[in-house]
Amino acid sequence: MDMQKISQEDFDMDMTPMIDCVFLLMIFFVLVIDLSQKNLEDLILPRAEFQEPDDQPPDNRPILNVLQNGSVIFEGKVAYDAIKDGSNYAPIKQLLLDIRRNGELKGTLKIVTEDIGGKPTKLVDDPILIRADKWTEWNVIGEIMKQCSQPNIAFWKVELAMSEQDKETGEKNAKLKGDK
Amino acid sequence: MSAIDDVQEEAKADMTPMIDCVFLMIIFFLCIEFKILEAKLPAYLPKDKGSQNTKVEPMEQLSVGIYVESEGKKVPFEDGTTVGDINPNNDRPYRYKVDNYRVKWVVGPKPLYNIQAVAAELKRIVADPASMVPDPKNPGTKKLMPVVIEPHPGVYYESVARTADACNDAGFEEINFGGGLGPTKKK
Repeated sequence: MDMQKISQEDFDMDMTPMIDCVFLLMIFFVLVIDLSQKNLEDLILPRAEFQEPDDQPPDNRPILNVLQNGSVIFEGKVAYDAIKDGSNYAPIKQLLLDIRRNGELKGTLKIVTEDIGGKPTKLVDDPILIRADKWTEWNVIGEIMKQCSQPNIAFWKVELAMSEQDKETGEKNAKLKGDK
Repeated sequence: MSAIDDVQEEAKADMTPMIDCVFLMIIFFLCIEFKILEAKLPAYLPKDKGSQNTKVEPMEQLSVGIYVESEGKKVPFEDGTTVGDINPNNDRPYRYKVDNYRVKWVVGPKPLYNIQAVAAELKRIVADPASMVPDPKNPGTKKLMPVVIEPHPGVYYESVARTADACNDAGFEEINFGGGLGPTKKK
């Protein structure tokens, strides 16, 4: 009787720990992949008090990360190195031209032709996101915006990334705290 | 005999599922830490800059200048790091924060010293009927005047973003960024 009981217990295996483990791995990988695909650098973004949350980011939106020293990172690669390139902003221009050309070739960016000042101009109708650290000097971001407005680049839907919580001070958006 | 067996089994609870659950939650909260929700601030550029050959009529606009009051001091963000050194783990420079950094805003003619005052002043301007200017695209109608944010050398993105955020909240639809004033002069 006793032997029979043991063998029976052996037979119907307990699945709970296995399912737990699988869930654990699933959550881990979902979160990690989500992070790596977005090409997000670890930055301290300025806190947004009033902005709309960016909860449904379009897949085709290029993201330019700007580090504290002004270096521009696109898809994990340093496109403009603030220390090496200094005031030579040509790499930024080249980067934007490349993004536009690739987007046009692959069809991921929508290009519209509009009549501007009497001349038909091809504009990029999709947004571009600038993710800059709060302690970046403004002039680099100003330079990116200037390049974006050039007629041969024409990314006019520039968006600035902000955070709902300041990573440095821990301050939260007033709306999140509920005391608008 | 059988009744005693039952009691004994009930007494020693199985800890495995609880520990599993706790681990699961630890991993979940560790990972979610990275994912602070982000927001976006539309800063659309004027479509017609740089390509126009027509004459533009000068238009009234509100200027918001940002000047550095106190440059502040860069201090390491994480303990045990040095400002300017490269982090070997990700090849990026170690991050820093800036202490004692203060700016002055000049909204129209008025100097202001904190962002709350700027937000209040912007709201006051929006409510003022004198802030409406003729709309060049639709003659005969009026629209709210555009605002130009002019950061001066040495101003950090933090101040500009917060200002643009306040302008947006006040109801300004056309927000332009002045600039081209260059980087901080190295001493």
